Parts: sequence; C-alpha cells; structure tokens
Amino acid sequence: MSLRTEKILRSLDRAYTGPICTVKDWDTKVIPQTIRAKLKKYGLEKTCDMENPINCDDDLADQFYKAGYELALEIGMLNVDTERIIKIQEDELLDTLRHKPREITLGSGNDSVVLKYRRPEDPTPPLLAASLGIVVSEELYVPIVSGIVKYRELVDVLHGPSLSTVYGRKIRSGTPYETLMGRYETELRREALWRADRPGMAHTGVAGAVTQYGHLGGAASIGGPGNVTMALCPVELKTNFSVFHRIMMAINYGMRIRAGGFSYIGGYAGPPEGAALANVAVDLLIATILDSDYTSSYVYDIQLLGNCGRKALWANSVAIQAISRNTYLIRNKIVNETGGPCTDMFMYEAAVGLMNHCVSGASKTTQPRSAGGKFTDHLTPMECWWCGEVFKSCAGMTRKQANEIAKQVLPKYEEQLKNPPKGKSVLDCFDLQEMRPSPEYQQLYLDIRKELMDLGMPLDKVYNNVALAR
Amino acid sequence: MKEQILQNLRNAIVECDIDQAIKASQAVLSAGISPLEAIQQGASKGLDIIGERFSAGEAYLPELILAGDAMKAVFDVLAKALAKEGKSKNAILGKVVIGTVSGDLHDIGKNIVGALLAVNGFEVYDIGIDVEPKTFVKKATELGASIIASSTLLTTSMPYQQDVVQYLEDSGQRDKYYYIVGGGPVTAEWARQIKADGHGYTATDAVEVCKRLAQSGQTPGTFEPIILEYYQG
Repeated sequence: MSLRTEKILRSLDRAYTGPICTVKDWDTKVIPQTIRAKLKKYGLEKTCDMENPINCDDDLADQFYKAGYELALEIGMLNVDTERIIKIQEDELLDTLRHKPREITLGSGNDSVVLKYRRPEDPTPPLLAASLGIVVSEELYVPIVSGIVKYRELVDVLHGPSLSTVYGRKIRSGTPYETLMGRYETELRREALWRADRPGMAHTGVAGAVTQYGHLGGAASIGGPGNVTMALCPVELKTNFSVFHRIMMAINYGMRIRAGGFSYIGGYAGPPEGAALANVAVDLLIATILDSDYTSSYVYDIQLLGNCGRKALWANSVAIQAISRNTYLIRNKIVNETGGPCTDMFMYEAAVGLMNHCVSGASKTTQPRSAGGKFTDHLTPMECWWCGEVFKSCAGMTRKQANEIAKQVLPKYEEQLKNPPKGKSVLDCFDLQEMRPSPEYQQLYLDIRKELMDLGMPLDKVYNNVALAR
Repeated sequence: MKEQILQNLRNAIVECDIDQAIKASQAVLSAGISPLEAIQQGASKGLDIIGERFSAGEAYLPELILAGDAMKAVFDVLAKALAKEGKSKNAILGKVVIGTVSGDLHDIGKNIVGALLAVNGFEVYDIGIDVEPKTFVKKATELGASIIASSTLLTTSMPYQQDVVQYLEDSGQRDKYYYIVGGGPVTAEWARQIKADGHGYTATDAVEVCKRLAQSGQTPGTFEPIILEYYQG
C-alpha cells in the first residue's frame, strides 16, 4: 500500500469513528464560536483594512497563520455523510508541512510546466489554468478550447469550459448522462489540444463533472501524474464521500490531487477576518486529511457573489500570505469576476484580483469566471489571455505597489459589483476562425492595458511581445 | 410590563436565544397579551434588526439561522393562542418549502435564502440537498405550503428545476403552489423558460419575490414571473 493510500484510508476511517457532530451544530455553533474565539485570542478582530485591500503587514499575516494552525488542530473537518469530525494530530500536520513537494511537474513533453511554491512578492511567474468551468455549447467547445490554449506564454494548464449538452442531450448531474459526458469532454479536450499543437498540456479533471460520476467517466482518458483531479469540499471546513470518491479515483489512476474548500465572508465563518482565518485552516487541513498535492481554496463574499470587492481582496491577501510566509504549500487561488466578456468591469476585476493573488504568493490560478459563470457561451479566449498576462506580469511586484494600484482601480468598478454588466457572448465579440477578439474587444483591451500600465502595472515586463502579436 | 415582555421577546430573537424566546412567549400568554401583537411588535422587530445587520455585513449566516429557529420556537408556543384568535394566517407571510435539487450537494445558497425568508416572516421548511422533484411537491402538500423554492449551483442540475414544474403540471397541482428558482447559474431567462413564478439574483431578492407572490393573490402559473435580476444584457 502506498503512503498516500494509507493516509487517505486513515482519514476515511476517522470519518466513521471521529466525534459526532450534526451539520447544523457545526455550521451554526462550532464554526462561528471557535473562529470568533481564535480571532479574539490572537487580536485579529476588526483588522480588515478597507482602505488598504492588499495586506502589506507581515506580522498580521503571521498572526493569522498561528491562529489558523491552532484552529486546524482544534477543529478538524466534518464529514457530512457520517456527521463525524475528522481530526488530525499535530505530528500529522507537521509531517504534511515538512514533506509536501515544493514543486510539481504538470503535463508532459514539450507542454509540461512546473508548478512551484511561491513566497509573497516572488519574482517567479505563477501558472494559469483556463477556463473556470463556464458552460459552452457543444459545437463551440473545441474551437473555444483551441483558442484558450493558443498562447503558450499565457495559459499553462487546461481546466476547460463545461459542456451544455452531451450529443445534444441535457446533462443531468449524477446520472448516466454525466458519466458519458466525462469521457466525451476528455475526447473534445484532446482534439482541441491537438489542434492547438499542445497535446501534452495538463488537464485538471473533467470540468463539467459535478459529481464523482463525471470524474470517473473521464478519468481513464486523463490519468497519470501529469494530470490532476479536482475535489471541492463543502463550505465551511467540511468534506463528504463525493470528495473521497474523487481522491480514490486519483489514487486509482495515478493522478495528482488538487482539493479545495472555500470560505465565505458573511457565511458561517462570519466577517472577513473569520473567512480569512478559516481559509488558512482549510489549506492546512485539506493538505493533511485529503493528502492533496496542492490546494485550491479561496475567500468569497456572499453579499457580492464574487471576490473582487475590498473585503474579499483583503481576506484573500492575508490568507494567502499567511500560508506563503510560513509553509511551502503550493496553492491555486481563484478570482470570481462578476462582469462579463468584453466589459471593462471584467478586465478591472481580473486585474486587481489576480495582481493581489500573485503578489501575495499564490502559485496558480484558474480563470476566468466571466459574468460569475452564469451565462452559456459567455466565455472567450480573450479573458483567459488577459488573466494570464496580468497574473504572470505581476510577479515580482511588491505588495505596496500592488496595493496602491488596487486603490486606484477599485473605484472604477466597485459600485457595479451589485449590478454587474453581463457582457457579450463569444460569437458577439470573438472571431473563432481567426482566433482574434472583435475590433471593439481589441480596442477595449488596448485601452485598459494602457490605463493600467500608466498606473504602474508592469504589463510590458514579460509578455509584451505576445500582447503586440495579438 | 407589556412593553418589557415585548422587549424581552425582541431581545431573545436578536440574541438567537431559543430558551429566552420560549420564556418570553410564555410570558406573553400569562400576561394576556395578544399573540399576534407579540409577534408583530416583539419577535418580528427582532428579526428586522437581524436582517438589517446581515445586509450591513454586521451579522452572519449562523445568526440568521439561529434567529429563525428562535422565531419558530415563538410560533410553537403561541400557535394555539393564535389559532384561537383566528390570526394564524396574519402572523406569517406564508409557508415555504425550500431545497437544493437532485444531483447537487451545495447548501449554503439555499441556507441563506431559507434563513432570510424566516427572518422576514415566512415559515420555512428546509428539505435539504439532492432533493428529487416530486419530493418538493409532496412536502409542500404535506405541510400546506404556498411557495416551493428550489436552488442549484450546477448547470447540470438545472433540468431538475424544470422537472419540478413538470411534476406540478402533470399532477394537476400547478395552480396550488408558487414556484421560485435560484442559484449561481440560474438566470431570468431560465426562470421564464421553465415557467417558474419568480426568481431573484440575490437572497434578498428572493425574499422580495416571495413577499410579492404571497401578496399577489394571483393563481400560480398564470402570470408573468416576478424577476429581480440585475445582470444587464
């Protein structure tokens, strides 16, 4: 038995033997009370600085780490299917922190990339996986994906859109339609990568799989250590057997494990400080309980249905920095934009959110989430390219520089966060034959790029040639 | 004394204290205060405070849920007296059955809407996650609900929202229940397409939609849906 299998089985066993707790008690008592107590103990209450949305205070980040470490050991994760808590011992957490890989190779051959641990203000460019599961029409899937991965310098890993149908049929989650879709999506992904001459690019699971059925349906086609499974846990600090199924699938097919758990401002964890603290704890717990190679956890604001407002920017910055400064864990961090394709709103949100993640120490992101992922075919390769350009170009900036830029860009969009523009569908703003944005979208890109460069965002530093070629 | 009891009732809700809510409700009965007045001038005022704090980012989901539980405890104590007064219907805006549809294990969006509905005067029955379409209808029948609310975060579970309407129609019950839909991928267009009665972009919008439906007096399934969706198109 491999060490990984042994660790996962230990966690699974605890899901049957750990302390009993109902989901309701966990959500309404255990989580809020424990988090509130930790915030108080470590002096972290009301530390959210709305005037400085990107944290520049190392001591504050370190205090969040200490509190998050203690929270992780004290609380564990609730398995909702058995209503038992999976607790961990300190030696297990220390073992995780000592032995997790500091870099991982994803993909194969010429298309392989190295995913590395990053510190805050790290000059190493992070990786970008695209897109973030936005639904697209079946007939547009291959051309859109081919366009997304067109530029090697901008997009490193294929997460991919989700299919709206499988062979013209509606996909219903948890049914044989989803199982069939799993295999079908991987075939389309492979075709798109061949067309783009990037056949060895890494896959991060089946994008349209919402239950284990879709993942298992596609696993045989995208197995192996260059590819990654995706297991997302319920909010807050919870897991379930669907997550364990996906982890077991990764073991069976020799894949890397990416697991995540989100923290919601306004939700069970409470204020921005509570969500940041929960996010620190969940990174530590997932890496230990689910033995993930890297985590994919982030803070989200339930009032704004995204994470590009000041509270979420601050909470993500402090949570990412807490882990980056105190561990070598590799983390994927997501920005949830609310503006749609071909809008200045989307471009501003992505720029500020990704700059924040980059300077705070995220190793990878999955983008874009145009229009909150709400509308079919509201995804073009252009948003993916823009995200890659911003995320990678910001490597090496200081947090102070980034914070100053964020403070100037936020007023350009924050009033629209509760009333965001839907933007345009791919067929209305992107030419999938020529793989170019429409003249209108191209001009918007050039205008906003110049505007942000004038504010000090170093978009000409690394990828100027690619940008001009477009 | 009456003012003090109503104040205690209000405070019990704000503090999410079920024991105090029960005690204050019993005091209402002992003092001969109208239960309807106690709800409207005491408990509901507490719910208003919690709702305002939530909107302002000063209270969070656990408080919403627990305040809703405290309100339910108040109703339980005062139910008989309300029925005696013939005012049961005046005390609540309506009964709502809410759940996340089949194939979807996400619960936080549904929980926020359910909790906000409860603090806004609805009697809410949360039937959980991964709920089959027919179960929504059966539960609504069993509980005498007037509104069915379904949530999903998954595009692949959206067809199940349509199945609920279909089940209502096929079982000849479409005119009995208002049906609202919500969740991450749910749009105004989708709500219209499946002939739901309402849709809200945010949880607060969902509450407003339910209020308008409950007060509309219209027959479910026979009018243009009430949509509060801010995405500009």
